[in-house]
Amino acid sequence: MIEFLSRRLAAALVTLALATVVVFAVVEVLPGDPALVMLGTDARPDTLAAIRAKYGFDQPLLTRYLQWIGGLLTFNLGNSHAYGTSVAKLISDRLVVTLPLGAMALSWATLVAIPLGVFAAWKHRRPGDWGVMGFTQIGISVPNFWFGIVLVLAFAVTWQWFPAGGFPGWQEPLKSVHALILPALSLSLGEIAILTRVTRSAMLDTLREDYVRTARAKGAPERVVLFRHALRNALIPVTTVAGLIAGFLVAGAVIIESVFRLPGVGQLVYDSINNRDLVVIKNVVILFTILVLTVNLLVDLAYALLDPRPRVRA
Amino acid sequence: MNTFLARASRHVGFQVGAVLLLLFVGTALVSLLWTPHPIDALNMRTKLMPSSAVYLLGTDHLGRDVLSRIMVGAQTSITVGLIAVAIGLTIGVALGAWAAARGGWVDEALSRTSDLIFAFPAVLIAILITSVLGASAQNAILAIAIFNIPVFARVTRGAALSMWSRDFIRAATAMGQGPVGITLRHVLPNIASVLIVQATIQFAVAILAEAGLSYLGLGAQPPVPSWGRMLRDAQTYIFQAPELAVWPGLAIALAVLGLNMLGDGLRDLLDPRLRLLRVG
Repeated sequence: MIEFLSRRLAAALVTLALATVVVFAVVEVLPGDPALVMLGTDARPDTLAAIRAKYGFDQPLLTRYLQWIGGLLTFNLGNSHAYGTSVAKLISDRLVVTLPLGAMALSWATLVAIPLGVFAAWKHRRPGDWGVMGFTQIGISVPNFWFGIVLVLAFAVTWQWFPAGGFPGWQEPLKSVHALILPALSLSLGEIAILTRVTRSAMLDTLREDYVRTARAKGAPERVVLFRHALRNALIPVTTVAGLIAGFLVAGAVIIESVFRLPGVGQLVYDSINNRDLVVIKNVVILFTILVLTVNLLVDLAYALLDPRPRVRA
Repeated sequence: MNTFLARASRHVGFQVGAVLLLLFVGTALVSLLWTPHPIDALNMRTKLMPSSAVYLLGTDHLGRDVLSRIMVGAQTSITVGLIAVAIGLTIGVALGAWAAARGGWVDEALSRTSDLIFAFPAVLIAILITSVLGASAQNAILAIAIFNIPVFARVTRGAALSMWSRDFIRAATAMGQGPVGITLRHVLPNIASVLIVQATIQFAVAILAEAGLSYLGLGAQPPVPSWGRMLRDAQTYIFQAPELAVWPGLAIALAVLGLNMLGDGLRDLLDPRLRLLRVG
């Protein structure tokens, strides 16, 4: 298992290294002159030169790339052009909003999707199953940001149970959790739909297994058959997909934070695009990539724990 | 084909999907020739009006007819989605078929590259591209297309690999046909149904992605109407005119729902054993 995990870790590191090359190429090489991107085409030559000197755009590409990597390794990410403050601080200040949001959405999605999927598999090809499948079809078709807007219409405009947006800050924990509920709900909609489908089909597979038939034959109650015998084994593919989804939750946060005006990393990305703050953009994108890769590694770990069979090929 | 139609006539999901898709494409086509009102006629005296006989779905913050703009918005969705999927399909199928036919390092390189692209969530690829190249419909298409390439490459590779081990392809190889000829004549026609189904699903994903990007202001730019952008504008006036935030979202949801149902229906009708990639 250690060999399997270390091989996975090595693969993730290679992917990460390639990702830094791609991000660097897109942000600093593709546009020609990054200073022009940051200041716009009507910038004066002396301000352009000043920006080039300030961010080292006048140095050779390889030097710039290595400097950036060195900075990433030492958490010295440089300063934001628009905010003037350190990018590392800017990002860590925003992560305290985005990570809880993602965690709430993922736990909510898991809590809803797994029972729904088990239910649909249990009622296979009966009205209960059709109902759940119809719901998942709608869940993957409705854009999550529109669902967010509809939630605002219902629970903030009409009934005023929740704020329409904004975030009070963690010094007010209850209000903060309250402010994250609608965003987490909207973020989780598509994930619930996908996870329900995966749970259902994994359950349908395991319910056909001999050991399930054995459990039923020896008179085990249906609840025990479903949850102890079938679901435990169905959880393996479900975990994989839940991990994949976690990555997309992080990205979905960009749009959802914009809908609810939450000061998270997603909003930072959005503002940085408008400010053409390339220093922030390249570091945030790499951060997201690291998050996705870490989650995938955690999934592999969970997978290895859930499925103790020795792994010959990774 | 007749058995296909016979089975289609019993598949409710496929029919609902087909009707929704016809409605979607039909709306876009009609809007090329006719809309109830001009889409960019500003009129501050009629701004934020509720639904009425004159303005069926009301008017927006600049007094423009919402129904007309939704109709023309369908054109934007279809254009962006169709071109992005076409690019992803062409390049992805070529790469996937190449990897399956050639194997070895080509296959390995392709798998690693698609892993790399999948490590970036799609929205981020789009954000990176548009932040550097500027926000426009073309760059949104480019971003969505890039994400589509590895999806089609993987599906094609998987399906093509299973074809290459079949006897009729071995026979063709034994008869001296080259890999390109076999791919074009035998492999691709036999995996077409997989690709059609995947393309339908990707079209749905692309429409969602376009809506998300234009909601963030990274898609089609004003004055071109796009559903995502309409939602962004509507949100500003959510307390004065809540209806405005309903219609464009409903349009996106119905279009995507139609394509998803059609895709699932096609999968059942063409090949019930198909397994699809669903990433987005």
